[in-house]
Amino acid sequence: MSRIKPAVSLYSLQDEYLNHRMNLADIMRYVKEKGAEGVEILPDQMLKGAPCISDETLEQWNGLLKETGLAPVIADVFLNTNLYKNRTLTRKECIALLAEEIKQAARLGIHLIRLVSMVPYWVIEPLLPYCEEYDVAIALEIHAGMAFDIPETKAFIEEMKRVDSKYVGLVIDTGIFCSRFPRVVREYETRNGTSKEVFDYIDTLFEKGSDLHREIRENGYQYPKELEEAIQTEHDRMFVPLCDGYENYKFEDLDEYMPYIKHFHFKLFEMTPEGPEYSMDYKGLLQYLHSKGYDGYVATEYEGNRFTLPGEKMKEKEQVAAQLSYIKVCLEEIEGQEGR
Amino acid sequence: MFDNNVFKENTCKNISENGKVVGYGMETNITYYRGIPLSMVEYIKVSADGTEVEPEDIRISVDQNDWFTLKEAETVTSYKWEYGEPLYIRVDQEGGLTAGTHKVKLTVATRTAYIPVPLEGMKEREVTIA
Repeated sequence: MSRIKPAVSLYSLQDEYLNHRMNLADIMRYVKEKGAEGVEILPDQMLKGAPCISDETLEQWNGLLKETGLAPVIADVFLNTNLYKNRTLTRKECIALLAEEIKQAARLGIHLIRLVSMVPYWVIEPLLPYCEEYDVAIALEIHAGMAFDIPETKAFIEEMKRVDSKYVGLVIDTGIFCSRFPRVVREYETRNGTSKEVFDYIDTLFEKGSDLHREIRENGYQYPKELEEAIQTEHDRMFVPLCDGYENYKFEDLDEYMPYIKHFHFKLFEMTPEGPEYSMDYKGLLQYLHSKGYDGYVATEYEGNRFTLPGEKMKEKEQVAAQLSYIKVCLEEIEGQEGR
Repeated sequence: MFDNNVFKENTCKNISENGKVVGYGMETNITYYRGIPLSMVEYIKVSADGTEVEPEDIRISVDQNDWFTLKEAETVTSYKWEYGEPLYIRVDQEGGLTAGTHKVKLTVATRTAYIPVPLEGMKEREVTIA
């Protein structure tokens, strides 16, 4: 029987880590205590020397997995095509970097890699022999603003379908399922000087089932008249492109991709006191995934940290715990009590 | 977006070598959410009391052993600036900053994997030099 399992991307607790309030061990223990069954890690964020980690770091990682019983689900991998200032890396250099990431994942006991959005399609075929040798799959992230309509994503999906291997797939970030613009972003950016009119306009788009990304695309990549009217200042004009990363897809838009989906980022801007996330309908999505027989992890990815108002306390720990607890309640209702 | 990561508090001080003050330095966290090789530092800018420091007078290090000018750092791929660890910045300036209070502004920009523009963070601090 398929089962949807909760995980946490350690990205969610990045401010705790950066400011040394929690180390890797504290974070792993915390997410376990709050109900995660698996972890997602950005090796570049919390493992020193990645992708060439020391044996000592590896031992610590293995020790923490053993102690907590957490499954090492997925490693989030980046491609530094702009490693140098004066040129872009060649294909050969890109493939060599990603091959190192595959080897590192295998050392960490991880069998799935999230390739950051915009990774070019042509890495797939040369990487397949490494994927097979090390038993590590590669999956492109479908992220709001860089989702199914973007040429780079389309090319990756086409190549993924062509090679048709269990080692190539997709990771979906639920930021593509925003039915409202996050109010924490609005509050934060209002303080930074963005005009009310801009947000009011964006809200009208979500209300009619659209979003800014779609609206601009459907207007031939020109700003619609209403948006131009909403823009009051140069600051507004600078800010508008940053509102691109919240899209309003329907769950059914995933139908054709379900066979390739290996993992989900349950993006989190704000768990409300009432229970649900402010912008995304997790329960509806979990219901959809259950009906499709999705057998895999859904990983908390808290991003409200970057929209914390000056002087306010970071709420990473509370928000992660609130999402895990909400997802658990949803899953109990959807899947029933057995086996949980 | 990462302004809060820039310029760690209470890190700005004069640097002495062989009993002589040769400059001043400070520490900063990364303007990104992951570690990157030093070659991906796009630029570092320092200004003190409104005067911009010449780029060739700035050197950076991740271990305080090996220091690179900004120009040299462009090809440094085997030293990684880790997330959660400081970058040490020093400004070569005979005599350093004079005793008293100064306004020091630090700007840090890194190149990132898929965002077309470098991620910049900036912070000005009022620092007191003993």
